[in-house]
Amino acid sequence: MEYWKNENEPIQAFVKLFQAAMVDDELSTGLKKVNQLILFDYTEDGPNCSFWMDCRSGNLNVGPGKPSEEPDMTMSLSADDAHRSWSNKLNPVMAITRKKIRVKGSAVGLLKLVPKLKKVAEIYVDVLKDLGWEDKILK
Amino acid sequence: MYGNTGKIIVVDLTAGKIEVETLPETDYLSYIGGSGLAARLFWKRGNIQADPLSPEAMLLFTNGPFAGLKLSGASRSSIAGRSPLTGNWGDSSCGGYFAPELRYAGFDGIILTGKAAKPSLLVIEDSAIRIESAQAYWGKGIESVNRSLKEKFGKPWRNLVIGPAGENQVKYAMILNEAHHAFGRAGFGAVMGSKNLKAIVVKASSKTMNLADSEAFEILRQKLNPRIKGALASDVMHVNGTAANLEGGVYSGDVPIKNFTSNFWQEMAESLTGSVLSEKYLTHGSACAHCAIACKRNVAVMEGPFAIPDGPGPEYETIVSLGSMIGSMDLAAVCKAGRVCNDLGLDTISTGVTIAWAMEAYERGDITPDDTEGIPLAWGDMETVIDVLIPAIAAKTGKLGSLLAEGSAAAARHIGKGSSDYTAHSKGLEVPAHDPRGGGHGLALAYAISPRGACHVAFPMLFMEMGACFYPEIGFEYELEPKTDQNKAESAVIAVALGSIENSACFCQFADREIGIPEWVELFNTVAGYGWDIDAMMLAGKRVFYLKRLINYLYGRTAADDVLTPRMLEPARDGEPEGIEINFYGMKDAFYRLMDMDMVKGIPVKSALVACGMVEEAGRVW
Repeated sequence: MEYWKNENEPIQAFVKLFQAAMVDDELSTGLKKVNQLILFDYTEDGPNCSFWMDCRSGNLNVGPGKPSEEPDMTMSLSADDAHRSWSNKLNPVMAITRKKIRVKGSAVGLLKLVPKLKKVAEIYVDVLKDLGWEDKILK
Repeated sequence: MYGNTGKIIVVDLTAGKIEVETLPETDYLSYIGGSGLAARLFWKRGNIQADPLSPEAMLLFTNGPFAGLKLSGASRSSIAGRSPLTGNWGDSSCGGYFAPELRYAGFDGIILTGKAAKPSLLVIEDSAIRIESAQAYWGKGIESVNRSLKEKFGKPWRNLVIGPAGENQVKYAMILNEAHHAFGRAGFGAVMGSKNLKAIVVKASSKTMNLADSEAFEILRQKLNPRIKGALASDVMHVNGTAANLEGGVYSGDVPIKNFTSNFWQEMAESLTGSVLSEKYLTHGSACAHCAIACKRNVAVMEGPFAIPDGPGPEYETIVSLGSMIGSMDLAAVCKAGRVCNDLGLDTISTGVTIAWAMEAYERGDITPDDTEGIPLAWGDMETVIDVLIPAIAAKTGKLGSLLAEGSAAAARHIGKGSSDYTAHSKGLEVPAHDPRGGGHGLALAYAISPRGACHVAFPMLFMEMGACFYPEIGFEYELEPKTDQNKAESAVIAVALGSIENSACFCQFADREIGIPEWVELFNTVAGYGWDIDAMMLAGKRVFYLKRLINYLYGRTAADDVLTPRMLEPARDGEPEGIEINFYGMKDAFYRLMDMDMVKGIPVKSALVACGMVEEAGRVW
């Protein structure tokens, strides 16, 4: 991995990112519209390198590992590309076209997040700073 | 011949004469099919200089080699000729069910000339072809004529029908298949109307096709169909239609607002996007022939001033053109406006963009109450749009209806006062619902160089800029940054050849994206037996683009016509692209050089034509 020392680091950052997003008015509204249980699967970088986000029925929860239920959608990519993606430095359409991102299940809900990616990236910068990982911030 | 039948129906409506001709295989090998084949036939045998609304004008319907295959996206067809809206080469593509039925009946296309003495109907039943009276249908809307034709001939018969707008020769009248699928652009409904041809119906008794290598095609089909169906874009369009990502488009600045004066309107984005259409008004999705994407919408608005019964619903272009472009975020009103345009037979893009221009002109005082005969034009006034403007345009009634029925470019020339500066068109064809300032600067180039005028589907530039294309075999393996000019000329060279192939193959742009370049070659070879490699296929695409450019040259179009209006090149006023300038002329010059095009004449230099095997064509222009 280019940006991470081990498989725990990205999950720590991404879970914290979505915990922060869930208390942001604009993003929490957007996340609720997603209305899906999503697994973000980075296991190509380690068996425990994954987290889930549950946006169903107006509730918002996030956690490391795999969800207890079958996800509505699984998004598989590398932890490095996930870092680029949350930093708004990866064109998701291109990444999907080039198979860098593999999507299983319906991505209909995820489209609701597309307009919010800029805001997600802003929060992600703050999260990385909070974790003392300024060196990981992509310019 | 394989895939193609090699046969076309040639109809002289003046004489009532119908013939079936066999085309030489070289026409297909050189120009593929669809709009490429149409350009070839038009060049060879059309009265090119004829007024498009005169009996001498030629109107061509052409299939691609894949029409009728059980393959998602394969069964679109082309219509072509001289556009009454632009006066230039025009072509338009339509999905639905007409193309496969015509193929099963044994034909690759229809060439129409002349003018019937009375309203007529062309009936094709296998090899039996006749002309019947359409007096009973003349003056009626497309929905009721579609129903009447189904009652008279039976549900399996497929049709193409024009509405009152076509009969009245509105310059952007369209033609509908099954009252749902549109030959929308360039005004060929008016050409049909000028020939007194209300409709064409077709029915085949068998559905067999003769393929070059059926076994190899079947293996390919089994690979492509699941991939096309399973693609992320197909999934979201299956659920929420072609407007599925309208909201994302607004945030990137791609969605035009109020005659291209704004690139961001959050409330509108949340009101008009595809998921809202699904939640509020969708009754069921539907599909073109043999397509698993099924992006078509059927909607009902149950109550309120814009109530409409269950029927065809709007797709992305209609939602934007009759929504945000004219300042409305009322989705029920958009559904009704689209339905009214469909029934009257008006292209929703040109209708919306022309009305948007008129609204701005009225706001500026360039169009006065005297010009409108007292009808006020205000952004988002959908009652006036639906109840007054659209019917007036279709009927060409009153000063305003007559003015707007000519299209925005002609209307602005008539009004003057600098109002052409804020039209949105290229070569007279109104700009569709993607703003290049936000969607991608390469799209500005694509709009300008497109032979038919501003068109988002002539070439896959929009898809290339958004990242939905990856073609290492033909040199497109780099990333494009939409809001810059970087690599746009180079990628446009690839786009014009590839787009010409896709449109000549009459394939759907959404399904196209899942087909790799070697698979395109395999499709042409297993279905039509073209015996191509990648180079031969790409050369055919380039040849099609060149030929359409030559036809436009015969109309006096030159490099000076490959432009966008000042409005389209202003830096965006808000949204993500705010303040960014498009280096339009830099991209254009680079593209011309890379395509071996003469910087003044706007056509390929003689040696480039000869290198493409276009010796006769070169002799006619050089």
